[in-house]
Amino acid sequence: MDKLLRNKKAIIMFIAPAFILFTLVLLIPICKAVYYSFCNYKTLHPIKFTGVDNYVKLFTKDRAMRAALKNSIFFMVFSIITQFIMGLFLAALLTNIRAGRNLFKNIYYLPCVLSSAALGLLWMFIFTPKLGINQMMASFGWIADCTEGPQWLFNTEGFIILPIIVISFVALWQYVGQSMMLYMAQISGISSDIYEAAAIDGCTKSQAFFKITLPLIRPMIATAMSLNAIGSLKFFDLVYNMIPEGFLGDKAHVLATHMYTQAFKFNKLGYGCAIGVVLLVMCLVVTLLINKFVKVESYT
Amino acid sequence: MKMKKLLAIGLSMAMTLSMLAGCGGNTPATSAPAEPAAEDTAEAPAADTAEEPAAEDTAEAPAADGEVQEITFMVWDDLEASEDLITKGYKQSVDRFNKDFEGKYHCTPITTNLEEYYDKLNALVTAGETPDVFIASPGANLNDYATTGVAAKMDDYLNADGWKQTFTSDAVFAGGTYGDDGGDGPGIYAIPLNIAAACVFYNTEMFEDAGAEVPKTFSELLDACQKLQDKGYTPITISAGTAWCLSMVAGYLCDRNGLNLQDIKDHKTDWKDEKVIKAGKQIQELSKYFQKTAAGDDNDIATAAFYNGEAAILIQGSWAIGQINGSCAEGFADKVGVFAFPAVDGSSADPNRVIAKSDSLCMSASTQYPDAAVQLIKYFVDDTASKYTAEVGGKIPVTSVQYDEKVAPPELKYVMDVFKNASSTFGFYNESLYDTEAGSTFDNCFVDIFTGTDPEKALDPIQEYYEMNVW
Repeated sequence: MDKLLRNKKAIIMFIAPAFILFTLVLLIPICKAVYYSFCNYKTLHPIKFTGVDNYVKLFTKDRAMRAALKNSIFFMVFSIITQFIMGLFLAALLTNIRAGRNLFKNIYYLPCVLSSAALGLLWMFIFTPKLGINQMMASFGWIADCTEGPQWLFNTEGFIILPIIVISFVALWQYVGQSMMLYMAQISGISSDIYEAAAIDGCTKSQAFFKITLPLIRPMIATAMSLNAIGSLKFFDLVYNMIPEGFLGDKAHVLATHMYTQAFKFNKLGYGCAIGVVLLVMCLVVTLLINKFVKVESYT
Repeated sequence: MKMKKLLAIGLSMAMTLSMLAGCGGNTPATSAPAEPAAEDTAEAPAADTAEEPAAEDTAEAPAADGEVQEITFMVWDDLEASEDLITKGYKQSVDRFNKDFEGKYHCTPITTNLEEYYDKLNALVTAGETPDVFIASPGANLNDYATTGVAAKMDDYLNADGWKQTFTSDAVFAGGTYGDDGGDGPGIYAIPLNIAAACVFYNTEMFEDAGAEVPKTFSELLDACQKLQDKGYTPITISAGTAWCLSMVAGYLCDRNGLNLQDIKDHKTDWKDEKVIKAGKQIQELSKYFQKTAAGDDNDIATAAFYNGEAAILIQGSWAIGQINGSCAEGFADKVGVFAFPAVDGSSADPNRVIAKSDSLCMSASTQYPDAAVQLIKYFVDDTASKYTAEVGGKIPVTSVQYDEKVAPPELKYVMDVFKNASSTFGFYNESLYDTEAGSTFDNCFVDIFTGTDPEKALDPIQEYYEMNVW
């Protein structure tokens, strides 16, 4: 190993491809995006440096940005909490059963690998008044007519509007499998000796979960929470596909849809980059906070 | 050892190069393969309206012997799958072009849906891959391409061989004509293909059954809707999910109430003008007669509700004729009547103004093959295409073609009547405002009003937008 590490040329050669790729597709675009966020850059027009104008407008005058921030933060908090609870619950459940473990693992994980665009359309149909849930409610007699039921994707009243809440649950359904798999991987790595020793000492199943499992999977909790937070902050597909264009307005946007709309629909690439930079900073801050507050102890 | 080093270097280089290979390349925007170069490169027949213009002042790239000049055409519908008759006509034009110029020119269509059309077009333009020919609506969208040098000036081509004289009048070019703000100076930057007028389509059988009369005023329209509703019919089908449908009605109501968009632009009035507020309240009154699922229905579903006989009134552009006749049951077209959007009671505004819109084609200023692109555009407005536009598609042709009125859809005659009686035309509000964002904000405000928000409050976003960006 030492001999290998002394070979600087080999190290450089093996690092170079990843480094070049990272620089080309990530580092340079990020740096350019940060620069463009300080410019008035509209598609087809010359780029003009305008300092912090985009940011001032973003935080003081943009209604849609306020709604997008609110919705994205709600989405993130909801995802972190629900995916932690549900993911851990399912992982604990599946690691304790033998029959059908793989089957359920696949069932829960399947939505993760399906296209979000296709799932967005599917759920849009389910929540469209003429079809899906409202039709079912009408057939059970709970509502007089399918159009009388909740307007799942079109109700724009309230601090957090119904479409965002609905989409949060759909996202939970779609991505809980990912959290479950992460927790399962960590739980299966815990030595059975620890549980056996605890059982001999009179530890119950629930005590074992809270006193052994939970502390030992903390590193994965931090990782899963970071992934959930970043994923939910930059969430786009379901919101864009489920909410009709006219209802996105300035109430139903999340940061990613607002960025897309500004950059590609209204051709304001500089302004879109500013939203992207805000998103990037939020992702970094949230990741740092999670890593700071979810304490990871080493037992090795 | 030396061998190992060489192997390591070789593998590392292969890895790096294979990764970079994916990043480069100037591949065509579509995957359709170009037609193989034909051996016979003889002059193909020209379109039937005009000969190919002299190419002295064009910058056509010299093609190698036998090389087919491949051009792309971007349109807002799926040429292969669409049931829309106008879209089918576009496909026929492309097919005729490819057949007639086989071995010389070839056009590959780039298709997408309407909702994402401009997003994708802008992405291609930004990436330096502007389609050689692309469709655009006059207004804020076309402004972006004409004033920034993306679209080519067409005057030389139009004047080269009398092509311009085949059009009904110079007025048809109004939407695509720019002054000093044109990217290449004053001139025409878009060739119109057809004209559509926004009208009110109604089911004559349902009207007769309900005892409703064709309304001349807004209150008469509400009366007719009430009668239809009392008779158990859904009076109006409309889409609020596809925001421009609702905003088209809002545009009519604003205009009928006497709003002048230029006054707003010049800040002589603003979006809180009582005429706009009144239009908002009228939308709310009218929405009581919309189908209950108007919020969730998109434009296709809402239009289908009309031609499936589920609703009595459809407020739509005359392009709907192609959509209706492409999908409705036989005999339905005979039940359809058309009337102009009614006047607002007590308003002194001209009630005979009509919202009109034309599909227009632009040629990319950076096209390598301008002659091929111009030839393609000619195939969209030649006699064959223009006859099809009127006789099958039901849109108003822009050229002086003679078409058989007996063959044309009956609705076209009604639309022509509305159009002939119009004192003047105006554009869709969402395409006539300061820019596309202003148009979209206007759309969203009226969707908000439709959902029940007080018009005064719902108009805040467009008011603020103008305060920040226009005034």
